[in-house]
Amino acid sequence: MMSLAAETQAAAALPRQPEAAASQAPVLVSVENLHIQFPPWNAPIRVVEDVSYQVRAGETMGIVGESGSGKTLSSLAILNLLPPPARIAGGRILFEGEDIAAKSQREMQKLRGRRLTMIFQNPGYSLNPLLTVGAQLAEILKVHEKLPRAAALQRVEELFRLVGITDPGPRLSQYPHEMSGGMKQRVCIARALLCNPALVLADEPTTALDVTIQAQILDLLEELKQRLGMSMIFVTHDMGVVARIADRITVMYAGQVCETGDKHAVFARPSHPYTQALLASTPRIDKRYAVDAEGRRERLPTVGLAATPGQPLGGGCRFAGRCPEAAPDCTRLVPQAAAIEPGRVVHCLKRGSAGVPGHG
Amino acid sequence: MQVFVFLTRRLIFAIILMLGVSAAIFFLINAIGNPIELMMAETPGMTGEVIERMKSYYGLDQPPLTRYLLWLGRLLHLDFGTSIVYNQPVGSLILTWGWQTLKIQVPAILIALAIAILFGVTAARRQHSRSDFAVMGTALLGQSLPAFFLGILLIFVFSYTLDWLPSYGAYSTRNPLGGSPTLDALWHMVLPVAMLTFFNTATLTLLMRSNMVDVLKSDFIAAMRASGIPERRVIYVHALRAAFIPMLTYLGLLIGLMLGTAPVTESVFTWPGLGSLYVAAIHQLDYPVIMGASAVIAFMLICTTLLTDVIYVLIDPRISLE
Amino acid sequence: MTDQTIASHTSRPKPLPKPAKGIWRQGWQRFTRSRTGMLGLVLVMLVVATAVIGPFLAPFDAHDQSPMLDPGAKAPPSWTHWLGTDRMGYDVLSRLIYGAPTALAVGLGAMSIASVIGVLVGGFAGYRGGTTDEVLMRFTDFFLVIPMFVVILAVVRLLGVAIVNTPFESVPYLNLGVIILLIGVFSWAPIARMTRAEFLRLKNQEFVEAARCIGATSGDILFRHILPNALPSLVVIVALGIGGAVLAEAMIGFLGFGDPAAVSWGQLLYFNYEALKVAPWASLSPGLAIFITVLGFNLLADGLTDAFNPRAKV
Repeated sequence: MMSLAAETQAAAALPRQPEAAASQAPVLVSVENLHIQFPPWNAPIRVVEDVSYQVRAGETMGIVGESGSGKTLSSLAILNLLPPPARIAGGRILFEGEDIAAKSQREMQKLRGRRLTMIFQNPGYSLNPLLTVGAQLAEILKVHEKLPRAAALQRVEELFRLVGITDPGPRLSQYPHEMSGGMKQRVCIARALLCNPALVLADEPTTALDVTIQAQILDLLEELKQRLGMSMIFVTHDMGVVARIADRITVMYAGQVCETGDKHAVFARPSHPYTQALLASTPRIDKRYAVDAEGRRERLPTVGLAATPGQPLGGGCRFAGRCPEAAPDCTRLVPQAAAIEPGRVVHCLKRGSAGVPGHG
Repeated sequence: MQVFVFLTRRLIFAIILMLGVSAAIFFLINAIGNPIELMMAETPGMTGEVIERMKSYYGLDQPPLTRYLLWLGRLLHLDFGTSIVYNQPVGSLILTWGWQTLKIQVPAILIALAIAILFGVTAARRQHSRSDFAVMGTALLGQSLPAFFLGILLIFVFSYTLDWLPSYGAYSTRNPLGGSPTLDALWHMVLPVAMLTFFNTATLTLLMRSNMVDVLKSDFIAAMRASGIPERRVIYVHALRAAFIPMLTYLGLLIGLMLGTAPVTESVFTWPGLGSLYVAAIHQLDYPVIMGASAVIAFMLICTTLLTDVIYVLIDPRISLE
Repeated sequence: MTDQTIASHTSRPKPLPKPAKGIWRQGWQRFTRSRTGMLGLVLVMLVVATAVIGPFLAPFDAHDQSPMLDPGAKAPPSWTHWLGTDRMGYDVLSRLIYGAPTALAVGLGAMSIASVIGVLVGGFAGYRGGTTDEVLMRFTDFFLVIPMFVVILAVVRLLGVAIVNTPFESVPYLNLGVIILLIGVFSWAPIARMTRAEFLRLKNQEFVEAARCIGATSGDILFRHILPNALPSLVVIVALGIGGAVLAEAMIGFLGFGDPAAVSWGQLLYFNYEALKVAPWASLSPGLAIFITVLGFNLLADGLTDAFNPRAKV
């Protein structure tokens, strides 16, 4: 896990840039007060609660959170592909100015793969095992651009070259099981870029890969982002990875947003107690760790005691149970967005957020 | 080339299996006693001389091993011998009666597959809904309902109580329905095909549903949707193909089960098929027919297994041909 | 773990450890939650109860044909004959009750034989591996493709003829015994395959290696470590097999090749099927009895799958 430590350190050590200057590009995606719920509907489980963030054109938003924090669900919601029985219970998702949730599946189908698309966590599972990679990528071009098969395959081959697949021609007629994990993820990235989309959602695209391959894929994504100027929403649990690839960061905990802001600002001056705890618990190579008399290394701080499983979500701030600064109101009031710096928002009563009574 | 080697190897294995199964059937049946002696035991007034003459006529005076080899040799020329009861070549008997068996079993498998795909996919897409529950419940009950008892129920309701459909046979002896023999034959097929279809559908639907539920959860389906492939194509082309592969093994077993229990299911409708021929032969101790029909049934089972293997290779690229 | 607390904090502290529960008690707890499984258990218990205490409560003797005179054959259900009388003048309800022990004897008998052969062949193949495994599994494949039902019919019939005028003729229920034996001998192949798969899986597990390290004998490893862990999967397949065996015997009886001395549901159908139109109660009730028994064991197997390997659910 050296990479993680090194990346974190690098991000924090970089000279601070003027945050507001990050981008004046138009807003591409705007998630506004998104709520996602699971049944039972009379007492729904709110897995995503009041989540808002914006992604500008050409920008990469890193969404960080542990598993179960609703980061994958909120990105699936942007594609309008929530797995049943989950459903959007409130809020809007504006993509290029239009509300995604209000669109029919038929309209969405025309957008997906063309204007916005997704790269999945495990390349081994996200390719159809029964078709050659060429055939399954060409099908997408046939659907969106009505390309004849030969032309489609040629385009796929070009994209294979773009994502660094050596010898792309023969690869077209290979089946996924004949490829390595890294190669499959390159194919998946090529699939995402086929129609030159405005937005790519990447759901932990490096987690399932070997560490060395992880670095290659991150390099590739960074390079492609710069060459093609697309926006990306990069979902991960790895602070090191966001530090490297994101322009801005949204930290989520149990379905709620903790804070959003420019990457450098968040790493340099974490505001929300959860972000602070997360960063404190990340080992750094520029810090000396004390060794006690018996030769035991000083322990890294941890993120408080975990909530007991099965505890109902809801009430106020969901981090309150593990938060060192929790006050009685925290379990009762849901913290609203509070601007603390230009372009930075935090949700914490202790940082000046207003509180509204929770549903629980 | 690789495919050719693979197919040859499967074929050789099937032939070995066929030899083994035919030997097992032959020696098991012959171990009980000389067929002619057994047969004559139920026919009073047979003198020893007549029995000996019959034995040599049917080649049954030789030691068992020689007889097996002789029988096998004649099988290779598709010569199954002559029926003792019908006094006709067993081969042509099997062809005429076997045709009737296929006439109800092939449609039953095809219709069952279509229904299983339709219901299985619908139930899987609406997992835990009321329609899913209804499909699952019916299938679970249907799986345990013996085909022959279902046949009896169908006859009781549709022939005896409602008097809509014929209860036995493959055709009317006189006054065919609407004056058309074809229509009349179809008319007689309705109940037997319904019985076999229902029997096949139950388990196929359960399997289809559970495979489909698994496939629909998989990432590659989500990825296809995220790439904008139309939902109908995602479900009925890509997901269906993936969900169908594990069903092949069971489909092979099912065809075997249907053929193997044809004696019972055909008896219910007095259907003039291979199963009925076999039961009659056993009742009358018609030795050449017993041997021929059981060998043909075993042969068809082995062909089914072989066919399943071949289809697997054709539709699943992950199966290595080694 | 200390240098990766981001990952470690996700493993939540477990609630206080409850007293350890065995595989069987855990299984039972899950089983009671399976609705189909419980229904299956109830149906099976119903059949077992009928088989055990039914004959003491049956209104008529199994071989009592006196109703032939009053109210006569094929009489509809009445207060004396709850399910009517059949073509031969028997009381249908009593025959039905006396059929239950036969069905269970066939199911349990045949599956005991199949289990012994299957576990021996499969266990030996799985434990030894190599050529032994290869040879035994080809042998098993071979039994999978034999048309069992077709062969059983021929053997039962021919044997029936062959024993005429021999001392075997006087052996009680010989015919039924042969049917049980044959069903058993022809249905061990799936059990062998399952046993082999389980033995292959288990023999390389760490607790087996640990047992080997502390010097346990082969027998100890097989019977104390591997077999008990393979049992849950085997129980499921045996439960399914019992239903299958009951059905096979019913079909043999329905074709008229059953044991004439035994009272069996299949034979009741055989005797009464011709009279389906005039006396439907006499054919439909044994058919229903077969259905309930098969359903019971199938649902039981379904519940057992839920209980022991919820992931392997078909």
